[in-house]
Amino acid sequence: MMFISSWVRGTRLYFHMVAASIRAQMQYRYGFFMNIIGWAMSYAGTAVTMWVMLYSFQSLEGWSFWQLIFLFALAVLSWGVCVIFFFHFRSLDQYILNGTFDRFLVRPIHPFFHFMAMKFDVGAFGQLLFSIAAVTLAYIQLNLHWPIWKWGVFLSAVIGGTFIQGGILVLISAIAFWTTRSERFYWVVMFPAKSMMNYPLSLYPRALQWVVTFILPFAFVNYLPALLLLDKTHPSISPYWGAFSFAVGLVVFGICYRIWMMGLNRYKSAGS
Amino acid sequence: MRQLRLYLEFSRKAFQRSAAYRFDAWTRLFSNVIFLFMWGFIWFALYSGKGNVEGVSFESMLSYIVVSQMLQGIHGAGTPLWEIQERVRTGDIAMEMMRPYDYPTRSLFSDFGNIAFHFLTAVLPLYTILFAVFDLHMPTSSSQWVLFVLSAALGYLIRYSIELTFGLLTFWLVETGGVEDIFYFSISLFSGSVIPLWFFPDWLETLAYFLPFQGIFFVPNSIFVGQLTGQALTEALLMQGIWLVVSYVILRFVWSKAALKIVVQGG
Repeated sequence: MMFISSWVRGTRLYFHMVAASIRAQMQYRYGFFMNIIGWAMSYAGTAVTMWVMLYSFQSLEGWSFWQLIFLFALAVLSWGVCVIFFFHFRSLDQYILNGTFDRFLVRPIHPFFHFMAMKFDVGAFGQLLFSIAAVTLAYIQLNLHWPIWKWGVFLSAVIGGTFIQGGILVLISAIAFWTTRSERFYWVVMFPAKSMMNYPLSLYPRALQWVVTFILPFAFVNYLPALLLLDKTHPSISPYWGAFSFAVGLVVFGICYRIWMMGLNRYKSAGS
Repeated sequence: MRQLRLYLEFSRKAFQRSAAYRFDAWTRLFSNVIFLFMWGFIWFALYSGKGNVEGVSFESMLSYIVVSQMLQGIHGAGTPLWEIQERVRTGDIAMEMMRPYDYPTRSLFSDFGNIAFHFLTAVLPLYTILFAVFDLHMPTSSSQWVLFVLSAALGYLIRYSIELTFGLLTFWLVETGGVEDIFYFSISLFSGSVIPLWFFPDWLETLAYFLPFQGIFFVPNSIFVGQLTGQALTEALLMQGIWLVVSYVILRFVWSKAALKIVVQGG
């Protein structure tokens, strides 16, 4: 019982703090809009690069331009949601090094919630703006008519994708409890991995496909659901795997959260 | 001469600092390799079942991507845009102006030191192995090597001038989001860093040809794989030279304005 009421209180506080964070970011209205437009523009830039690439080559591994845009935009959509809640986890190392992390431990809120609530990144609305527009355009251009269950798969991919990528960000931040480094790991491991997933997974060697399906399951963020949603096939993986993004997301996030809490306990004992 | 010795001292210090942060150099190399890997497989798939596209073979294209990634690895050891912006925002740059040296030159020489370390300990060994193991196109004559190195150096200086100019815009803009994105987009597409200009639609190729960015990666890469020779090569080098002068003049202009801006705020 204690556990549940603590979570309910935490959730209420979370939204309270999020509201404060949004108000703070809205103070600089020009910056607020430029930030959103800037992000949307930079993703549109990648889409333009894909267009130029396919101009002379027509298709990539049997994926047409709009199919590729769908694959890319699906990843950006869940990443956008993920950035809102979890992107600042990557810089946990800075808080630990500066000693400012300690304030998250002395307050009567769950430290994970508190750290999560510290920032609510409205810049991510740019990702959402781009990805919603791109998914819509691709849906029209590809002449898709999804039955209800496919909308369910789509929703599960977005929510599951958020949990998978959020979980991995939490995992990267947890490394800081042991090594006092995390931001670098994001830029060196997760950013390139995410970039690779913007293209069809079947491009890459088998071993890598296996890793991003079973170990760091980025494949469930966009590739596997896109196979199912666009009626495409993979030589060895069934497209129906794409229906399980949500379940995979919950498991990944659960594990990563546990590891984060383990790290936190370790930090406490070392800090004094 | 004494001036040069002063600036070389900055290179030496930067080299030593890099040596102290070896971990950074290796992690940078790691992500460089991942992107090389990714683009290698993308181009492999694009070329599957095709012979020559626009008169370019897969071997040439693969060599293009490898040398492009090598140059990007070298560029990546310099001061990134966000760091320049940070120096302006925090006011560190004002402290630099009070000192008896020229900041744009000082910063360039510091980057030389960082690059020398990164190049010798990470980029050179890795790419030597890659070129030895894979059957890639390389310059076949010493004059081609010289032209490649010259072109790559011009490309570096063009990028340096443009990047620093963009960074200095922070003096006037509170929020640099949009500016940053224009810079990164142009650098990634119009420079030919991942897609050579050969494969662009004609109108876009013409546009890219008249922008300074193609001089950063596209020209040296094309020289390296032997796609750019004779008259066209001379013209391309000349264009690079012109763009370097233009971007340097713009950098100087923006720098002098920025210096005034600091004096105004300081008084």
